Amino acid sequence: MNHSLQRRLLIVASLVLAAFLGTTGFALDQAFRTSLIQAQQDRLQGFLYTVLAGADVREGQLQVPGDLPEGRFHQIGSGLYAVVLDDQGRTTWRSRSLIGQRLDLDRTLPPGERDFYRAELDGERLVGLAYGLSWEDPETGGGDFTLHVAESITFRLEERAAYRRSLWTWLGGAGAGLLVAQLLVLRWGLRPLRRVTRDLQLIERGRKDTLEGNYPREVQGLTERLNQLICSERERTTHYRNSLADLAHSLKTPLAVLRTTLESDSSQPPSPQTMEQIERIHETVDYQLGRAALAGPPHFGESTRVQPLARRVMDTLPKTRPAGPPATTFDCPGEARFPGPEGDLMEILGNLVDNACKWCDDRISLRVDWQAHGRGWLLTLQMEDDGPGVPESARERILQRGQRADETRPGHGIGLAMVSELVANYRGKIQIDRSDRLGGARFTLTLPVNT
Amino acid sequence: MRLLLVEDEQELASQLCKRLQDEGFVVDHAADGPSGLHFATDYPIDLAIVDLGLPGFSGLELIQRLRADGSRLPVLILTARQAWQDRVAGLEAGADDYLGKPFRMEELLARVNALLRRVGGWAHPVLEAGPIALDTRSQTVSLAGKALDLTAYEYRLLAYLMHRPDEVVSKLELTEHLYPDDADRDSNVIEVFIRRLRQKLDPDNSLHPIETLRGRGYSFRLGTPHRS
Repeated sequence: MNHSLQRRLLIVASLVLAAFLGTTGFALDQAFRTSLIQAQQDRLQGFLYTVLAGADVREGQLQVPGDLPEGRFHQIGSGLYAVVLDDQGRTTWRSRSLIGQRLDLDRTLPPGERDFYRAELDGERLVGLAYGLSWEDPETGGGDFTLHVAESITFRLEERAAYRRSLWTWLGGAGAGLLVAQLLVLRWGLRPLRRVTRDLQLIERGRKDTLEGNYPREVQGLTERLNQLICSERERTTHYRNSLADLAHSLKTPLAVLRTTLESDSSQPPSPQTMEQIERIHETVDYQLGRAALAGPPHFGESTRVQPLARRVMDTLPKTRPAGPPATTFDCPGEARFPGPEGDLMEILGNLVDNACKWCDDRISLRVDWQAHGRGWLLTLQMEDDGPGVPESARERILQRGQRADETRPGHGIGLAMVSELVANYRGKIQIDRSDRLGGARFTLTLPVNT
Repeated sequence: MRLLLVEDEQELASQLCKRLQDEGFVVDHAADGPSGLHFATDYPIDLAIVDLGLPGFSGLELIQRLRADGSRLPVLILTARQAWQDRVAGLEAGADDYLGKPFRMEELLARVNALLRRVGGWAHPVLEAGPIALDTRSQTVSLAGKALDLTAYEYRLLAYLMHRPDEVVSKLELTEHLYPDDADRDSNVIEVFIRRLRQKLDPDNSLHPIETLRGRGYSFRLGTPHRS
């Protein structure tokens, strides 16, 4: 039962509409039928009086001798019939319209009673009125008779069918119109909710900071709470990262004091075990706290433009190379975006560029590529140098924590491990091979970006 | 060489000062931003080692103010912050290099020496000029491949001159940069050291590596470094 709001409302509203229109149709049909019956009865009553007006008793039998004003009584098969029965149920008179046809009527009624009934004549449906009367005539005598007047209702039935057709056509048309109107109303009414959903997606992809703009009053509460949630989530993440950085910071200075104190006592050189333990603490602080602070892709994502940041890194880090700054090549399309906060991208670029500077002869190159990929984009970072390259046997290893390709070079081997971990967090790939253009190492990072 | 250390952590600062002095540097120490800036602008400093987290104002601001004044003093940042953002921001502010805490003393010395070399345009840790080779890592000097026996002061004097090839360096500058403020400053001592250096570097009196410019000072003129 997990239908969309729109579908739920549509189903319920359609059912209600169908029930309402059905009931309305039924009621109208019934009302029409009632009025038809009433009109028919009035007509029969009128015919009855017409017949009675021309009736006369002859030889104890009630007859209608002359022509009746209603001509249909005299036309054969006209659909309007009259029969007179005596108190024994014998026919004393029948209208000329009944010639050649048998209308078997034998019901007699006591004088003064009336009865409407249905009958059939050669497949033709009739409505009849029977009337019991007592004829008193001092000259010709009298007696009890029953007068039947019947009229075919084929025409009425056709009329009713036509009415019904027209009724249901109109009701159906109105129903369809209402359904369409209802659909439009629903779409319009639910539009703010769809906007919230779309805006949330934009926030997730880092294209928007908060749910902005005017929402209807009913949704306003929701969007305000969501904004608060997003804000507090961001604040919490920032706070968390800052606390971890502060923790790392406050641990490192005492560690530096400890190390220099041990190293500067020339009378008693520090034991290798002590230095190793200090090195381990240092590494743990750097790696574990660093890693924890780099939480990976955020839920309510910020994304970062790659070009300005990469330019800053390429403009600064290479100039610190002890042997002098290497020649740099930098190429990055302006629209390239990294799917996370600035700090994470800085960590990746910082380590890559630093590593390239450490190993290069005198040239490094950073090329960024931004391509459409499926429903999103693919960000490719390619760092190349003209150094000795990474031997095939070491390519897997240097991406692991505490592993260095060359133990004689400074650093404690967590930079590339950090990059590798970050890239994995962002569901990206890292590949190490030989650079075609510069001849040294080539690190190729590919990161999917959903926008 | 005269270094400025701006570090607020007393224990670390005193250890570093002691160690740097042992390495033959003259060291001034400042414990906060404002006094660091004062030292960097008013004292004959060759290189500043600046911690980023300082009382008064931050190391970053110190560097920015220094650069705004037009100073080209080489600056090495010390930072306990691991984040690359701080390093990049520091370098953008005008620092020349950075080192993360905690560090090995050798690493700090290597960075300091490399920075000092870069000012003179030397790319390699061994400064070679004709047959003279000065190794900044081992603090030794060789002449045509044979090691020379120099005293610590002789070495520092030669290193200072070689770090400024073709520049005229006055006697006052040499005393300021090679001796602490409280040392006995006698310009005659410099002359004595120069004479001894010449004897050791140029026994045949054919190279003339150190030129005397009367009334102005000395200049090392023996080949230009391989500038990178």
